[in-house]
Amino acid sequence: MPPGSLALLAQGAVVSLLLAAAAIVGGTLLAVLLATIAFSRFAAVRAVYRVYVYVVRGTPLLVLALLLFYAMPALDLRTGPYIAGTLVLIVYTGALFAEVFRGGVLAIPRPQWESARSLGLPPLAMFRKIVAPLVTRYTLPPYVNVCVMSVKASSVLSIISVWELTLAAREIIERTFAVFTILGLAAAFYFVMCFGIDRLGRLLERHLALKGFAGERA
Amino acid sequence: MNFARWVAIYGPTYLTGLGWTAVTAVGAACGALIWGCALLLIRLSAGRWGARGVDAYVQLFRNTPVLLPIYLIYFAFPMIGLPWPAVVCGGLALILQNGAYISEILRGSVNAIDRVQFDAARSIGLAPWSTFRKVVLPQVLVYSIPALGNQTVLLLKDTSLLSAISITELTMQAKLLTEQTGAAYEAFIVVALLYLLLVSGTEVLFRVTHRAVRWR
Amino acid sequence: MLTSRIRHVVAAALVAILVAAGSPAGAQEKSRLDIVLERGKLIVVTLTTVPPFAFNDDKGQLVGFDIDIARLVATALFKDPNKVEFVSVSAEGRWPAIESGRADMGVGGTTTYPDRAIRVAFTRPFIDSGISVLVSKKSGIKSLKDLDQDKYTIANLNNPQMADRAKRFFPKTKILTFDTPAAQFLAVKSGRANALQIDTPSAEYWAAQNKDEMDVLPGLLGASQNNGIFMKPGDFKWWLWLDPAVAEMRTGSWYPQYSEIYHKWFGKNPPPQKFYLQQ
Repeated sequence: MPPGSLALLAQGAVVSLLLAAAAIVGGTLLAVLLATIAFSRFAAVRAVYRVYVYVVRGTPLLVLALLLFYAMPALDLRTGPYIAGTLVLIVYTGALFAEVFRGGVLAIPRPQWESARSLGLPPLAMFRKIVAPLVTRYTLPPYVNVCVMSVKASSVLSIISVWELTLAAREIIERTFAVFTILGLAAAFYFVMCFGIDRLGRLLERHLALKGFAGERA
Repeated sequence: MNFARWVAIYGPTYLTGLGWTAVTAVGAACGALIWGCALLLIRLSAGRWGARGVDAYVQLFRNTPVLLPIYLIYFAFPMIGLPWPAVVCGGLALILQNGAYISEILRGSVNAIDRVQFDAARSIGLAPWSTFRKVVLPQVLVYSIPALGNQTVLLLKDTSLLSAISITELTMQAKLLTEQTGAAYEAFIVVALLYLLLVSGTEVLFRVTHRAVRWR
Repeated sequence: MLTSRIRHVVAAALVAILVAAGSPAGAQEKSRLDIVLERGKLIVVTLTTVPPFAFNDDKGQLVGFDIDIARLVATALFKDPNKVEFVSVSAEGRWPAIESGRADMGVGGTTTYPDRAIRVAFTRPFIDSGISVLVSKKSGIKSLKDLDQDKYTIANLNNPQMADRAKRFFPKTKILTFDTPAAQFLAVKSGRANALQIDTPSAEYWAAQNKDEMDVLPGLLGASQNNGIFMKPGDFKWWLWLDPAVAEMRTGSWYPQYSEIYHKWFGKNPPPQKFYLQQ
C-alpha cells in the first residue's frame, strides 16, 4: 500500500462524513418546511411541493450538481465546489426527507386523529403525545436509510472536484496505480460509515421502542 | 443566445447521449433483474450459508457508493487482463449494485406467498427448481412490480455516473456541449428535462404493466 | 382575506427578486486587484495533475512550475510566497471557478486559445508549450500516421480544442474523454487507451517517469502554443497589473527569479530576456 495513503483516505472519509452531516441537518430542516407545504390548505402551494420533489427525484444527483456548479457564476456567489456540492446535497436530501416525513404523517391511521381530537387536546399536546411518537416510529427506518444515502451521495460530488473520500482515492490511484488496494480501502471506509449509521439507527429504534415512545412496540 | 435557439441548434446532438443512456439503462436493468433472481434462488436453496453469503453481498453493495465498482472494473480489470469495453464495465457495475437491491425487494415479496403453496408444490412432486420457476418467481415478480419500477428509476439515474468512464451518455454529452459552446445553463437544463422525461416514461411503463398483470 | 394573503406573497416575492437583481451590479464595481490587496491573500485555481506544471508530489504537496509562478505573483503582491491559496479543479471546472469569483486567477498548463478567451482573459504567455502525443510502447505506434487507425484509442481531455485536434490529425482513431490529465494517463497506463494528447512538458515528464512503457511521438500537434495566467474577463485593472508582471518575469526585472524557477523544473535556461542579450 502506498505510504501515506491511509492517512489521506481517512481525511477524505472525514470530509465525506462532514458533507453528509451538513446534508442531513440542512436536509431535515428543509424537509420540515417542505412537509408543512405538502399539507397546506392551498392546492397551489401543495403543487409547489409536488413539482420540487418530482424534479429533484427525477434528475440524477450528478446533473443537479453540475447544474448548480455551472450556474454559480450567474448567481454571483463567491463559492467553490464545496458550497455548491453541499447545497446540492441539502436540496437532494431535503426532498427525500420530506417524502419520508410526509409518508409518516399519512401513515397515521385516521382513528388516531379523530380520537385525539375527541379527547379535546390542544394542538401542541396532540402533536407531542400522539403524532410525534407515531410519526417517529414510522419514519425512523426510512430516515436512517436517507442518512446512509447521504454518505453514498457525497461520492458523486467527487466529479465536481469536491475533495472527499472518492476523489482522494482517485488521486492516489492516478499517482500510484494501486487500483485494487486503494479502492478496496475506500470501500471499507464507506462500509464502516454507512453500516455504522445503519446500526446506530437500529439501536435508536430499539431504545425508543423500549421507552414506549414508539407506540405499540413496547 | 436564447434558450429556444440553442435547443434548436444543439438539440440533435443529444440523440447519441440519449441512445447510450437508454441502452445502458435497459441492459443493466434486465441484467440486474436476472442477477437479483439468481441471488434470490441462492438464498432460498443453498441453506444457511447461501443465505449468509447473499446477506454479506447485499450489505457490501448497500453500504458502498456505486462509483467505486465503476472505477474498479473500468480501470483495474484491464490490468489483470480483462479489458472489457466501457459500456460492459459500467453495465456490470450497475448490475452488481442493483442486483443486490432487487434481491432484497424480491425477498420481501417471497414472504408474502402463502406457505400452503410450497406444501402443495411438494405434494405434487415438483422439484425445487420447478417450484422456483413455476410457483415462486411469477408471483414474486408480479408482487414486486412497483418496487422494481422504483429501483429501475434509480438505476436510470445512476447511468449518469458512467460519464466518469468516458461513456458518451446524456451527462457526458451535456459536459461536452458546455465546453464547446460556453452555454452552461442550456446544456444542463435540457439534459435535466430529458432525464425527467425518461424517468416519467419508466414510471408510466411500470404502472401500466402492474395494472395489466394484476387481474391475475 | 385570501386575496390579501396572495397580495402579500406577491409583494414579498417582488422585493426578493429586486434585491437579488440589484446586488450583482454593485459587486462588480471593485477590481479584483483591490479585492486581492485587501484580502492579503491570492486565490489561484489550478489543475493538479499536469506535471511538471502543477501536480502533487510523493508527500502530497502541490508543486510545479505553474505553482511556483503563482507564488512569484504572490511575492510581487505581498512580498510573501506563501500568501496563496490553491483551489483544485478538474479541466472544465477552471472556468466556473473564475467566473464565479471563487478564484482570482488560474494556472495549470492552461493554453491560450482564441475561443477560450471569450470566457476568460489571458495574460501574455509565461511559458511556451505545444501539444504532444504520449503513446504506450506496447501499442507499437511510431508516428502520427500509425496512430490514425481504427484499432487505436486516444485519451482526450474534455475541451473542444482536443476534440478538434483529434478530428484534424487522426480522425480514424477512437476517442475517450476524461476530465483530468491524470485520468488520461491512468487510461493509457491501464491499457484503456493507447495514446493521449497533452502539453509537451507533461508528456515528456510522464515518458521520463515511465521509460519502459511510454514514449513521446516526435513533433507537435499543430503549432507551438502559449500558456498564460487566466482571469475573469472585463477586469481591466487586474489584467493591467498581471500582464506587465508576467512581462517583467520573462523579459524584465523579475527574470532572475523566473530563471531560477525555470531551471528548477526544466533543467535548462529559459529563452533569453531579449534576443539581443546573450546568456
